[in-house]
Amino acid sequence: MGSFANERSMLTYVVGASVLFIIGVFGTAYLPFYDDQMQVPNENAELRNYALDSAEYQGREVYIREGCHVCHTMFVRPVLADSALGPISQPADYYYEAPAMLGSKRTGADLMWVGNRWNADWHREHLKNPQKILPGSIMPRYDYLSDEDLEALVAYLMSLKPSPQTEGRPVNN
Amino acid sequence: MNTHTSNDLYRPTKIFFYSSLVWLVVGMLYGLILALKFIWPNFLVWGPLQVYLQFGRIRPIHTNVLLFGWLSMANIGALFYVIPKLCRNQLAFPKLAVYLAYAWNFIIIAGSIALTLGYTTVAEYAEWPLWIDILVVLGVVNLSLICFTTIAQRKEKQLYVSLWYFMGSLIWLPGLYIIGNLPYKLLSGVPQFLIFWFYGHNVIGLWFTTVGVGLIYYLLPYLSKNPLYSHRLSLIGFWTIATFYVWNGPHHLQNGPIPLWLMKAGIIPSVLLIIPVWAVLANVFGTMKGKWHVVAHNTPLKFLVSGSIFYLITCLQGPFQSLQGPSSIVKFTDWVPGHAHLPVFGAFSYVAFAMMYYAIPKITYQNIFSVKLMETHFWFSTIGLLLFTFSTWTAGVFEGFAWIEGAQYGLQFVEMLIAMRPFFYIRAVGGILMFVAQIFFIVNLYKTIRLSKKSQNTSESTA
Repeated sequence: MGSFANERSMLTYVVGASVLFIIGVFGTAYLPFYDDQMQVPNENAELRNYALDSAEYQGREVYIREGCHVCHTMFVRPVLADSALGPISQPADYYYEAPAMLGSKRTGADLMWVGNRWNADWHREHLKNPQKILPGSIMPRYDYLSDEDLEALVAYLMSLKPSPQTEGRPVNN
Repeated sequence: MNTHTSNDLYRPTKIFFYSSLVWLVVGMLYGLILALKFIWPNFLVWGPLQVYLQFGRIRPIHTNVLLFGWLSMANIGALFYVIPKLCRNQLAFPKLAVYLAYAWNFIIIAGSIALTLGYTTVAEYAEWPLWIDILVVLGVVNLSLICFTTIAQRKEKQLYVSLWYFMGSLIWLPGLYIIGNLPYKLLSGVPQFLIFWFYGHNVIGLWFTTVGVGLIYYLLPYLSKNPLYSHRLSLIGFWTIATFYVWNGPHHLQNGPIPLWLMKAGIIPSVLLIIPVWAVLANVFGTMKGKWHVVAHNTPLKFLVSGSIFYLITCLQGPFQSLQGPSSIVKFTDWVPGHAHLPVFGAFSYVAFAMMYYAIPKITYQNIFSVKLMETHFWFSTIGLLLFTFSTWTAGVFEGFAWIEGAQYGLQFVEMLIAMRPFFYIRAVGGILMFVAQIFFIVNLYKTIRLSKKSQNTSESTA
């Protein structure tokens, strides 16, 4: 019952809380940087490593500005619910991705490989009026984007394709 | 008049509480617009509003305003009230505390404007641009300085349970915030996404949860008029939260592109979190023993006990959905916002409501204006929340199964969305009830504050 004496000292809590916190940070936020699997780029990563002056890079900035990542994931899992979406995501696919946009909510469909699914015209028309292309869709219209922004965004979406090497990636890895 | 206010010990608490109420309305209005856009995607699409109220831009405003404007400000106001009480002395640096309140309001306004204009760092709950993050860190460090100095200069030797939780939270929040908001151009890829979720999960777990649990432990004995059931149990609760919570980030990448060791490192602690939750709840139930009949007539206690129960449900749900199987169905669906509203609104906003109903009469020397309004606030909030959560959970499960059956993109995806419409309607109705409830809350507090000012003026003039 001598333990109550310790409860008069702030030091126990300050030191204990700090140490436990640092251990957790080390394990889940710091160590992953040293995992070999996480620290290699593959061909997909190279495809998504856009030059700063490219339309795709600009399109990605538009994508971020308009908050597309709020409703669309880029994250294909090895589960049935993702079986029609294409090759399963690997850590190496995201090597150059900053900020990382894997996402947390699919209010709209996953966009990891959306460049494979539709052509540029489809994307352009769909962005301007989603309900015209997909009746009942709840996506907002992006008819207010400047022509330049719209073209850049379409270029970015079209660039979201697996590299030829990835096409043959086994579905159950 | 001036001398009167500058002598007011509770001024920092008052400014934090009153500002938090404004942000509560603003944040919930944004939430309501989001819910209605699920039904009418062209809701309020008119002129410049089409851009500034566009779904992708306002969802982060909704979350940030409610997390940092409403709940954090309510919590800080509570800390500035409770810590001096538990230490039997006055708040250290009261002037700094007042400036902090103004600075915090400025941060929320600046952050919301930045997000409206499309400046975002993408990291969930950390979307504000870097220059605002730096202000937040300065603010949080000041907050810790004020609270720790008050505790260090205490006149009461014993450190009550609540103070442990507050000290923990005040150490973790600055660390979390700094790590979570590292400039994203410095890092990249999956490790960066892990840092986003290290922050996103733990800002709930090591700031809102731990302050909230500290407040439960403070309020419960006062409201139920029973002593805290077990000191030892609260000790177990504290150290297990400190040990397991920070490991929870990786479960946001369940079934994702991360190595197996990391998945295990994320999921095992998620499941072990049942221990601290159970410790808190056993303590709540133990303390309530023999006093359950009081709940019927005491609205703040009703909020507190319901909040604790919502906390329990959230924390049973969490480990469940972090498992591989359930995750493969409910992840990314509307189940997720349903789950997220439970801790933030159901558990810790309820604790904050209870705290304000308890503290505002003490700091304004005036009883709450209307008990009936208080009851209405409780029932509208609770029914609204239950409609919201049950509709989103159900929709989420249906969506998960629809994806399994192939409705993963294109027309089939949209057909699935159309089928979910009844649930979106129920969710919006729930949201409206939750919103209206807060209007009752604010009107009630406003009337209370007005009455107290009136009685102070008359007592001054007669003196």
